[in-house]
Amino acid sequence: MYLQLDNIKKSYGEGENKNEVLKGITCGVEKGHICVLLGPSGSGKSTLLNIIGGIDSADSGSVIINNEKLESYSDKQLTLYRRKHLGYVFQSYNLIPNLTVRENIEVGAYLSDSPLPIDDLIETLGLTKHQHKIPSQLSGGQQQRTAIGRAIIKNPDILLCDEPTGALDYKTSKEILKLIEEVNQKFGNTIIIVTHNDAIKLMADQVIKFRDGNIRKIEMNTNKVPAAELDW
Amino acid sequence: MKNPLLKRIPRELKDDLGKYIALFLFLTLTIGFVSGFLVADNSMKKAYDNSFEDYDIENGHFILDKKADNELLDYAENEYNIKIYELFCKDKENPDGHIVRLYLPRTDINRLDVMDGELPSSDGEIVLDRLYAENNDISIGDDYTVDDKTFKVTGLVAFSDYSALFKKNTDMMFDANKFTVAVISENDFNSLSEAGLEYEYAWLNNDTSLNDDDQKELADKIMIDLAGKAAEYDNSITDFVARQDNQAIKFTGDDMGGDAVMIHTLLYIVMVVLSFAFAVTTKSTIEQESKVIGTLRASGYTRTELAAHFLAVPLVVTLLGAIAGNIIGYTGMKFIVADMYYHSYSLPTYKTIWNASAFVSTTVVPLIIIFLINLLIICTSLSHTPLQFIRGELSKSRRKRVIKLPNWKFLSRFRTRVILQNIPAFTTLFVGILFASILLMFGLLFSPLLSHFKDQVVDSKFSNYQYVLKAPVPTSTEGAEKYCVTSLINDKDEEITIYGIQNDSEYVNDKSFEPGSIYLSEGYMEKYGFKKGHTLTLQDKYSKEEFDFKIDDKYDYPASLCIFMNMDDFNTMFGKDKDYFSGYFTNEKITDIDETIIASVITEHDLTVMADQLEDSMGRIFPMFGGFAVLIYILMIYLLAKLIIEKNASSISMIKILGYTDQEVSKLYNRATSMVVIGSMLISIPICSLLIKLIYYTMMLEFSGWLTYWIAPWIYPAMFAIGVVCYLVVSVILLKKIKKIPMSQALKNME
Repeated sequence: MYLQLDNIKKSYGEGENKNEVLKGITCGVEKGHICVLLGPSGSGKSTLLNIIGGIDSADSGSVIINNEKLESYSDKQLTLYRRKHLGYVFQSYNLIPNLTVRENIEVGAYLSDSPLPIDDLIETLGLTKHQHKIPSQLSGGQQQRTAIGRAIIKNPDILLCDEPTGALDYKTSKEILKLIEEVNQKFGNTIIIVTHNDAIKLMADQVIKFRDGNIRKIEMNTNKVPAAELDW
Repeated sequence: MKNPLLKRIPRELKDDLGKYIALFLFLTLTIGFVSGFLVADNSMKKAYDNSFEDYDIENGHFILDKKADNELLDYAENEYNIKIYELFCKDKENPDGHIVRLYLPRTDINRLDVMDGELPSSDGEIVLDRLYAENNDISIGDDYTVDDKTFKVTGLVAFSDYSALFKKNTDMMFDANKFTVAVISENDFNSLSEAGLEYEYAWLNNDTSLNDDDQKELADKIMIDLAGKAAEYDNSITDFVARQDNQAIKFTGDDMGGDAVMIHTLLYIVMVVLSFAFAVTTKSTIEQESKVIGTLRASGYTRTELAAHFLAVPLVVTLLGAIAGNIIGYTGMKFIVADMYYHSYSLPTYKTIWNASAFVSTTVVPLIIIFLINLLIICTSLSHTPLQFIRGELSKSRRKRVIKLPNWKFLSRFRTRVILQNIPAFTTLFVGILFASILLMFGLLFSPLLSHFKDQVVDSKFSNYQYVLKAPVPTSTEGAEKYCVTSLINDKDEEITIYGIQNDSEYVNDKSFEPGSIYLSEGYMEKYGFKKGHTLTLQDKYSKEEFDFKIDDKYDYPASLCIFMNMDDFNTMFGKDKDYFSGYFTNEKITDIDETIIASVITEHDLTVMADQLEDSMGRIFPMFGGFAVLIYILMIYLLAKLIIEKNASSISMIKILGYTDQEVSKLYNRATSMVVIGSMLISIPICSLLIKLIYYTMMLEFSGWLTYWIAPWIYPAMFAIGVVCYLVVSVILLKKIKKIPMSQALKNME
């Protein structure tokens, strides 16, 4: 397994207010796979994504990526890990308002010694026409494409997407999912998508279903459906 | 690859141009003034320091009762390896009360810098001190009358030994309005009456390697020896002043250094206040951009990279302000400052000198201050985890501490919430207002303080005339009352006047002068914080003999630092005859005593000269303090109130959607600011009053003499009114800002 999670536990609060968000998660993801973490709000999937991303820590358990244990990393090493290996996409696009599309993508490129060719990527993202616009001049879908571009330009080993279509309409959501699929096929990154949209599971190689901080089911998808054919 | 975040910096500046232009101009003005001041100060100080060598300034001088015997001078020259020069002078009083001290042309010692025109080349010509001429509108070519003889002014000069126009070395303050030094031809000098003639001799040390302490030590030796030696030649020393003690020579140099310390302090305080203004706005930007910052941190950006990014704008603006400030400092401001000096002192011509330390203090130090304070606050603001940034959980206490408010009206509760939400910004605003208020009070304080002092002095004067005689001679002037006077020095070499007063004095009659009673003037008590019963020790300047005085009480006499005692006690203490006296208090002019016997006559003008001169030389600086304070008020209120509006832009947009008008929004947000501004002013004023008193007392300790501390009552409401007017100016801009917030902003953020 490229990514291995061993008995991850996480809780917030203390005493009576203690809320166990993850109750012992064990699973793994193969390199180059698209993995969908599926579940209702509050089931712990975003928390798990953040632990994988090194921006939150588990109370116990191990995250092993490429045979390296994350919990042994210092703050500095974690930053370096994210810098070298991870790309992040959020539901709210979190673009820098006074930088253009191209410059926002360059913000990601700066972190890599060998970023992908920016013009090709912008073309792949379908943003060539809009590359000199600032975020407020873009639609939600275009902003999310830019955010994906920013995450993917450094060609990360793992792309983490937290509800990437949560703020988008049906059509735009499908375009974004197609883009994620295209990125996976073109660059071979491992992609983990957090969603509560059941339809998205069909495009994944692996689906991990969550309920109340536990894994309800892990499914391997032998008949993947292309994102373009998804419907909900 | 260059960090793409760098591209934000010019855009950041462009997007908030108003704010940055305000900060830039403020920095430029402050640094420009300070740079100009330090450059002019340093250049003039250099010119002043060089003048000792350039113009052969004396190492000291003495005045003899009679013309010196050559043997006496030869003895002194040989004994002490010095060269003595005659510098005879005549003091003449003009009908308008102005005193002119006439000298012969000088070639070897205390030479002149001719600033305009030329030295007298024939009889009937005179050159005057440049500053005195300016103060009295006298130009080259004008007639000037001395002792009924009319001279033509041919030049305006700076006397190297009179850079501050002290008439007597014991005066509390120089007097460039009614006292001047002048040079006339030898024939003219001899043709004037002998009245006011002083046999002054100045010397230069042959050994030029002596340092200041050695020079002073040598001067002290000469003084003690010469006092005894002169008696052998039936002569006596009436005055002796070493260069180090000569106020006319040293006062200017001492004053220059003192101003530089004050100006540096002012600059650094302004920089600290500005640093906080920058830091608070940057902190607010970090809060507003928390999700972006969280995403960047999650993507692998380090805290250092982000801190460097947020530090860039304050540093760029400060650097630009410092560069522009130095340019205007060197090109324009230095002339203003030099003018200020030339308006106070009779300084020689100066050349601008590149001042590396001024560059460091006006450019490097402000950058370091801005850097350190911003670094501290930015690093603290960036210390959250990426997840906290993404979730916008930047305030640790946000959830835990919701302050419960009393059941006030909705508007009051809303405004209180705005204030509670912006405590760091309002704290900075308070500090800015406090600092501006101190400057403002300083600017407003002195003119009424000096007027009040003059009124006090006039009210408390003993008599219209106070005669000091060279020898005790009787007068038949009606009401003339004998008194004794001498002067001693304290451990700071400050001159203290000792009066011997008759027991039943008609003039000094607030207290009775029974034998044994000793009173200190109120200012003297106040300046050193003496209490009744305290014993103080003073010494004779020449013999170094010490005298003790046990204080019975204070005496209401603000004009000078003095001690009043019984006249018989005085004569006993100073070894005088029982019938000895030094002069008369009288309300009538004494006409039956020969002028040559009269050492001096102290009139109202002599008592108020210090206040007059201070008003004249400092009068230009005080309004600058006031103007500067107004700028700080406006800048701080504008920056921080604007920040609060920007921070709440989404909420403002939302309540506009709900149907609030711009004025109602302003009532909610701007009124909160106005409450803080008014509250800050009300709190600042008493704090300022205390701080200013503290600063004043410390400042006056360094100053010879004492000016009664007094704040005119109108200053408090005036400060408040100025602050409110500044706020009203800013509030117009703020209302416009509120009007500009579109309703779509709230909708966009919800998307």
